[in-house]
Amino acid sequence: MGSYLATEEQVSTWLHLLAKERDLFWPRSVGQFNYSFLPLGERDEICFDRYLPTIVPPGRRLLPDDETLFTSQQGDDRLSHYLPPQPSAPMVLAGVRPCDLKGITQLDTVMAAAPADPYYHQRRVNTVIIAMNCLAPCDSRCFCSAVGALGAQDGADVFLTLLAEGVLVESLSARGDEILVKASFSLCEDGKERRLVAEGTRPLPFGRELAVVPEALPEMLRKGYESPVYHRYGERCYSCGTCNLVCPTCYCFEVRDEMSLDGFSGRRSRTWDSCMIPAFAEVAGPHNFRAEVGERQRHRLKRKFEYLPERFGLGSFCVGCGRCGRQCTANIDILNMVNDIAVEVGGGS
Amino acid sequence: MKPKVAFFDFASCEGCQLALLNCEDDLLAILAQVELVEFREAISEQAGRYDIAFIEGSIHREQDIERLYDIRSRSKVLVALGACACNGNVQARSNFVAPAENYKAVYGEEDRNRVQVDGEYWPLWTHTRVRAVHEVVKVDYQLRGCPMQPTEFLHLLKSLLTGREPSFPANAVCVECKKNENECVYDRGLACFGPIAFGGCDAICINSGHLCDGCRGLLPYANVKAHRQLLKEMGIDITSVQNRYRLHLSNEPDAGEVRR
Repeated sequence: MGSYLATEEQVSTWLHLLAKERDLFWPRSVGQFNYSFLPLGERDEICFDRYLPTIVPPGRRLLPDDETLFTSQQGDDRLSHYLPPQPSAPMVLAGVRPCDLKGITQLDTVMAAAPADPYYHQRRVNTVIIAMNCLAPCDSRCFCSAVGALGAQDGADVFLTLLAEGVLVESLSARGDEILVKASFSLCEDGKERRLVAEGTRPLPFGRELAVVPEALPEMLRKGYESPVYHRYGERCYSCGTCNLVCPTCYCFEVRDEMSLDGFSGRRSRTWDSCMIPAFAEVAGPHNFRAEVGERQRHRLKRKFEYLPERFGLGSFCVGCGRCGRQCTANIDILNMVNDIAVEVGGGS
Repeated sequence: MKPKVAFFDFASCEGCQLALLNCEDDLLAILAQVELVEFREAISEQAGRYDIAFIEGSIHREQDIERLYDIRSRSKVLVALGACACNGNVQARSNFVAPAENYKAVYGEEDRNRVQVDGEYWPLWTHTRVRAVHEVVKVDYQLRGCPMQPTEFLHLLKSLLTGREPSFPANAVCVECKKNENECVYDRGLACFGPIAFGGCDAICINSGHLCDGCRGLLPYANVKAHRQLLKEMGIDITSVQNRYRLHLSNEPDAGEVRR
């Protein structure tokens, strides 16, 4: 679990070596302003410090859309037989920011809770994570520090920090050591100290701030249950589901069966779902538990700041990446919404 | 006995039937399961009863309405196939122009004047209001899109053959853009109908670098007010906004009127 110092070129060479053995995802620019975790190709350049949070978070690679849960096939006995899904290939998620890293470790806990999700687990044990430290807020939407995600290191196998003198490469696990065997970086005895010095240069406040401490949020949201703030934001909401689909800690899915035309073979799959879409809470009847858009906004907020934190004890399930606000065409920003409620119910801090 | 399936076309480009013919890998499997009794008016329409009737196109003329009543009365399940049948598509735009103006644009001023005084003169194109199929008869299922999505067609057919309720989720195109990790059209500085339009198309236009014009129709919960406000804030003038809405959405009750 040593520390090393390397040039960006050396790190780049090492990542390309890793990418030859297994899929390695690194944020790549797509379109004009966006980034996406895409497989690193032989000729792809690696941009180390100039990328924003990707359109969807890297954790979605562990819970892919349209994932096959099983297929069935007709055998010689004319009966349909269960076939398990193909096991996923090993992969490396690299360039993962602390906010997304925290999101992945929270997903790990959620997916391990009974009933455990074998599909997620199978992918996760095959996944190595190379994280990338943040020394400055990525843009004006960022609030990772306010929700305690900035310092996240758990879950990473290798942790990179861009120092003035080069890239600090810290191994945090046996798997980290294993993938660093191929690298020829110089050992760095005082790696941790150098990282702390670099982290000391972070601006304060780091990104946007919460009006209350995260620990006070569950109580505050209970007090503000009937808040008109939800409905005010809801007025301009499209219920399009983007905020859920880009969230590092949203994991809801819908299961579908599709049969072949002859009816003898089939496939069960799961696709990403979203609690902002009206049909999400629709049941037989038809009755909808959250027919109003304001109720759905409230549910989303309470999942992130009250229900899941209280159930799992892992702090805020909003990791402050800012994706939902950044990608909302109606400019509905979760931090603004929380802060508006704080003002209305008189803080709580 | 195999279920009898029929296709009928009204005012349309028949692109949806073409999209079906493009399901080349599945066509033989489809034909193994169903008996095709009508396709492009090849066989007489008096073939008794249909288990599934697919209606392509929008309904324009009096005789179209009579024909549609007849088909409905002989069909167990009736499916509106494609945007023209589901929401009137681009044709419905003519509903916002006085018929006399339409005749003039198509046949010239002389014929426009004649059609109004000569009861015997009735050019082919003259019609009443352009209607979607569900505005005339009961529709059991809709296969949206311009053209329809072959995967949805197959899903519906398989569901009907196996007696299951098909699933067409009412979600915005945005959902599929996220699944495909497309850069948001609004990030490109362009106006898009994705947030208020029916998905199910896999965001095919945006995947190819275009934008969404909402050919699949407005979602039942479409926030048209917020959408119009957004386009206004982008500096798009009200006439251009109206033109965009009237491309595919003229017959949508929420989209037709100008709101200032």
